[in-house]
Amino acid sequence: MKKKFKCEIDCANCAAKVEAAIKKVDGVIDAKVNFLTQKFTLEAADEAFEEVLAAAVKAGKKAEAEFEVEL
Amino acid sequence: MSKKLKKLLRRVIIAAVLFFPLLILLKSGAFARLPGAALTVMFMVPYLIVGYDIILGAFKNIRNGNVFDEKFLMTVATIAAFCIGEYAEACAVMLFYQTGELFQGYAVGKSRRSISEMMEIAPEYANVETDGAVEETDPDEVGVGSVILIRPGERIPLDGVVIEGESFLDTAALTGESVPRLVSAGDQVISGCVNGDGTLRVRTTKVYEDSTVAKILELVETASERKARLENFITRFARWYTPLVTAGAVLLAAVPPLVLGQPFGGWIHRACIFLIVSCPCALVISVPLGFFGGIGAASRIGVLVKGSNYLEAAASMTTVVFDKTGTLTKGEFRVTEVLPSKEGGLTRDELLELTALGESSSTHPIARSVLAAYGKTPDLTRVGEAHETAGRGIRVTVDGRELLLGSRKLMEAEGIATGEEHPSGTVIHAAAGGSFLGSIVISDTVKEGAREAVLRMKSIGVRKTVMLTGDREEAAAAVAAETGIDEFHSGLLPAGKVERIEALLKESDGRHRVGFVGDGINDAPVLMRADVGIAMGSLGSDAAIEAADIVLMDDDIRKIASVVRIARKTLRIVKENVAFALIVKAAVLILGALGMANLWAAVFGDVGVTVLAILNSMRALEEKG
Repeated sequence: MKKKFKCEIDCANCAAKVEAAIKKVDGVIDAKVNFLTQKFTLEAADEAFEEVLAAAVKAGKKAEAEFEVEL
Repeated sequence: MSKKLKKLLRRVIIAAVLFFPLLILLKSGAFARLPGAALTVMFMVPYLIVGYDIILGAFKNIRNGNVFDEKFLMTVATIAAFCIGEYAEACAVMLFYQTGELFQGYAVGKSRRSISEMMEIAPEYANVETDGAVEETDPDEVGVGSVILIRPGERIPLDGVVIEGESFLDTAALTGESVPRLVSAGDQVISGCVNGDGTLRVRTTKVYEDSTVAKILELVETASERKARLENFITRFARWYTPLVTAGAVLLAAVPPLVLGQPFGGWIHRACIFLIVSCPCALVISVPLGFFGGIGAASRIGVLVKGSNYLEAAASMTTVVFDKTGTLTKGEFRVTEVLPSKEGGLTRDELLELTALGESSSTHPIARSVLAAYGKTPDLTRVGEAHETAGRGIRVTVDGRELLLGSRKLMEAEGIATGEEHPSGTVIHAAAGGSFLGSIVISDTVKEGAREAVLRMKSIGVRKTVMLTGDREEAAAAVAAETGIDEFHSGLLPAGKVERIEALLKESDGRHRVGFVGDGINDAPVLMRADVGIAMGSLGSDAAIEAADIVLMDDDIRKIASVVRIARKTLRIVKENVAFALIVKAAVLILGALGMANLWAAVFGDVGVTVLAILNSMRALEEKG
């Protein structure tokens, strides 16, 4: 399943860092953090989507404290 | 401006108001007697007002193990500057850094808004009709084949076919076309258009996810994710640049004092310069922002570019290949010539009328185009029985006289001499009582603006224009001559078109790109194969739009030249930014290491360059094409 969320991210470099960090999370098939459109796209298996999403947001926040996702 | 930015702006203004008087007093020598601690406290006030969030963010990131974070580097550099007595500089670095952030936020917000103006095409609801009752529903939940009601002024939520009503549609948001389009029962409507004064009942043909509006939104949103080569290069560069420069800073601060026994102060000052210019932000932001602006500028003239990489490729497009039918021509058949024969003795109008009457019972597109040219309702009482001879023509009684209408072969079979063959188009020959009455030529007409489109491309440096078609050579030659195309290949099957494109791709070296413009279902493989696939948005098939890299929403091929111009300007801006940032940063690093630059130069090397690059990027958005 692929889902898109609104997110808050302050700079292009930060978005790249957050994206790289989220891609390393277990269960994430693909992730994109788009600085210009302020959108976060996550692709993960349907069954575990909610857990993966929570882990992804946590990993993103760890990479860049200002990363916020509107769930 | 967002709330966050407004807050930052207030902080920057307050800090600046406090900082500049302090700076003037300091430079005029008024503080000469004051101890360092007093100066530190005074400059700390504006410093903390403007930079507290950076310092907090830096600590948060260190806790998470991110050392090469720009906030951390800024914090270390400014605190080190305070320690060596560069109070004013330390404060200024933070102040200007935040001013840069402010600019960046504003510029990005502006680009984003112009894209979201495009996004306003998104419909909010659909009026679904079930058993006579109308209900507002989320467009996402409407199935194919539902009947929806579109009231005056509402946005069409889903693609479909009109089943009742007549209205003008405003398609400007989708195509940039300002002339409204009239639709009535039987016509296709696409989502995203705004309904005029009439009420329409529409049967949906697609679910929201597959409808035009959803596709366009998806395209625009993902466009910046398809990165240009230049962007990938910069991203890789940034990954190495920051750690290297930071390592350089550490070496500068430690080696000369420890090894050569020199005083720490001066070298720490040089290390601070390194830390401040170590942030790659000017580079990282200016490339995608420039492309974002270019894509935004293209979307404003009704052209969707599906990625930065395609804009990059379009800038170096020197060969443009066209499909004929539907791209250079309208794809509609029309009577172009009425040629009565001498022996028949009819006028042009009489010949047209006779043929129209003869064809009045036929539903063939060619017959319909004759009727359209005739323009009046045929008087069916004058028409008797008709017999079609498959693929050749029709034998019909008109005004009691037997009329023969059809191909040259039909005439030959009847022993009727038809004179010279017409070079292009489809020809209906007419004969009665064994003698030839004349012929009517029906051909596809060249689009208005096709010639101008080719001329414009030439004027912007496209070297070669080629037309590929499955049509006969005569028809192809006529269109090529009329539009000014350099080269054409006729009688091609879809596979043949791909071969031609591959041959052209081989001919062009790596720096020159080959574009293909098409609309039909058969074009999808060619669109994929070309460096830049350009498809027609409103006439074209879904498959073609899917396979294309650039979509012309209103099918106006004149806009190709405009897109190339936007692409070139965008690329020029982006390259300027990269070169400028690299040169300034290199200069500051070298001068800084040699002790010939101060912190002011470093601030310019970081924030100044970022702001200039952003301002430069915003020009891409302004390009009208």
